[in-house]
Amino acid sequence: MKISRRIAGALALSAAAAVVLAGCTSRNDPGQSAAPGASEGGGTAEDLTIAFVPKLQGIPYFEAMNTGGQQAAEELGFEWLYQGPTTADAAAQADIVRSFIQQGVDVLFVAPNDPNSMAPLLEEAQAAGIHVATTDTDAPDSVREVFVNQASTEGIGEALTDALLEAMGGSGQYAIVSCGETAANLNAWIEVQEAYTASEYPDAEIVDIVYAGEDQAMATQMATDLMSSNPDLTGLVGECTSSAPGVAQAVEDAGRTGEVFTVGLGTPQSMLPYLESGSSSGSILWDVEALGYLTGWAGVQLASDGDLGDTSTIGLEGASGATYDEATGELLLGPPTIFTAENAGDYDY
Amino acid sequence: MTATAPAPAPASASGQVSLRRILPPVVTGQELVLLGVLVVLWVLLGIFTPAFLTPGSIGPLLVQVAPIALIGVGMTFVIITAGIDVSVAATIMVSAVVTARVLVAADVPAVLAVLLAIAIGALLGTVNGVLIAYGRVHPIIITFGTANLFQWLGLRVFDSSTVNGIPGTLDFFGRGAAGSTLGVPHSFAIAVVAVAVAWWFLRYAKAGRNLYAIGGNQNAARLAGIKVQPRLVWVYGITGALAGLAACMIIATGTSSLDQSVGSGKELQVIAAVVIGGTSILGGRGSVVGTMLGALLVQTVVSGVTQLGWPTQLGFLFVGICILIAVGTDLIRERARRRA
Repeated sequence: MKISRRIAGALALSAAAAVVLAGCTSRNDPGQSAAPGASEGGGTAEDLTIAFVPKLQGIPYFEAMNTGGQQAAEELGFEWLYQGPTTADAAAQADIVRSFIQQGVDVLFVAPNDPNSMAPLLEEAQAAGIHVATTDTDAPDSVREVFVNQASTEGIGEALTDALLEAMGGSGQYAIVSCGETAANLNAWIEVQEAYTASEYPDAEIVDIVYAGEDQAMATQMATDLMSSNPDLTGLVGECTSSAPGVAQAVEDAGRTGEVFTVGLGTPQSMLPYLESGSSSGSILWDVEALGYLTGWAGVQLASDGDLGDTSTIGLEGASGATYDEATGELLLGPPTIFTAENAGDYDY
Repeated sequence: MTATAPAPAPASASGQVSLRRILPPVVTGQELVLLGVLVVLWVLLGIFTPAFLTPGSIGPLLVQVAPIALIGVGMTFVIITAGIDVSVAATIMVSAVVTARVLVAADVPAVLAVLLAIAIGALLGTVNGVLIAYGRVHPIIITFGTANLFQWLGLRVFDSSTVNGIPGTLDFFGRGAAGSTLGVPHSFAIAVVAVAVAWWFLRYAKAGRNLYAIGGNQNAARLAGIKVQPRLVWVYGITGALAGLAACMIIATGTSSLDQSVGSGKELQVIAAVVIGGTSILGGRGSVVGTMLGALLVQTVVSGVTQLGWPTQLGFLFVGICILIAVGTDLIRERARRRA
């Protein structure tokens, strides 16, 4: 009796441990376990491996980027590896970056959760002979060779502000429901929104900025609280893909569609019901698949010492308007896309 | 085995007199303090914000509290037995994603969806219970392990995409107009009923009193003839079932799409509510009424910070202070008792 109990306990414990250990890598890249020498050639596209580590795996945004990257891999002929943490956690992300350094990929793209802690890892990767770059989110003071930027900070901030204030009639109070309090890109957009609102819409005012994390329900609750505490509030901005539908849902639940207007950075599929009901006046984002494609293309250029400025070689229409700024090392996808009830249904992410 | 009879005897045989002597007062000191703090906070917020004490603000607050309080009932049972369950967030995730997928795929009635969610939660909870009762490893290790396991399960069902276009089948639990009757949110009413039943159960039912004995000293409880292992399986199973029901509320209050962040962090919110409510993390003492008050306090603080226009981060500071005060009081009380 005693022995069997002990065995049962040991089994349970080892099962638990195994699960914990396996927790951060829910999906492995296919057949890419041992290729440490693969990085030495790096010339031809045939044996080229380009890895992309998103902030978070399994959300539609990064899955759409993955789709674009895979498309580029098929067309341009390289191997595309995609793996990210299951929570937007800097430490878990760092582990995945380390494993790609171990594998010796040719080009490594990261959308860092924490740019500061990612910088030394990128240095490590570069020392190992890997081309390092960022996409979606930059690590500004790092050794990255290029940052594939989805849209300019000004472009996003101004498009958000214009879309919201058009719905609000050019004046009134609005509030922002942001997500991570330290997210560099979100904070940069918010700064633009504040400055642009002050200069272009003197009768409009941002009354509060709150942070809900990547939690839809929290975003909805905070939007509800903001509407209660600011009776004159007529606008809400959902600053990321989880809070954009969250704030629209709050307006719908409060029965104030048509009184309080929302805009946000939401993926088209998740925003479609709200765009149709009018609780969201527009979703500002970019063609995410095209961003993934552009990332793959930039990887090929880096590995072959090609010219990033020669964007005429980009085969995908949505990415062909990209521009490269040598001074900042930024490859810019183009102006943001505004999704409305009419066009949101055309995208399958 | 012959020692079975004496333990439950005082409750059943000698009747109300001895029962009153054993039982703690109907309302404990900590609950009164919590209630007082809550009332003071609500009054202050009513004065210093334009609309905290309006139906448009209190209603959604109660809806937000409901799933926490509901799971908190199960978690109170668990913590009274000196256990803990850190897998409830992952249980919510599995239950929510399966239910949401079914709602999108087939036009099932709400009742069926709710039963499905509860069944999934109960199943996962029972897995926890069996491993804990018969594996005899500390519950935090087991549930930490199963939390990861469930998370993997949930992510498999998500299959790297969100569930889009969830219909309004579960609006009965929602924040909108269909979610309340005469201004009372249905989800909160359900949580109140659950708390009331659990309060009675813990106080007057033999099986309920047994939980305190198990938490006080598991070996003594076993020697006294309490069937410890089946009780533990049951306690974790109930917690899972309640997490399944809470998952329905979370689907209903969420947007029309569900992503993998569903449930994340809920285990800590629930444990915070239980601990703030005065349930001893050491086991053997606690009440579900306190848990409900604790859940209300946490959400009041978070909503209050937003409505006052204060920086969001202050919410974490205040909730952290509440937890430390609650745990500190508990430990001081425990030490005083040992000395006495």
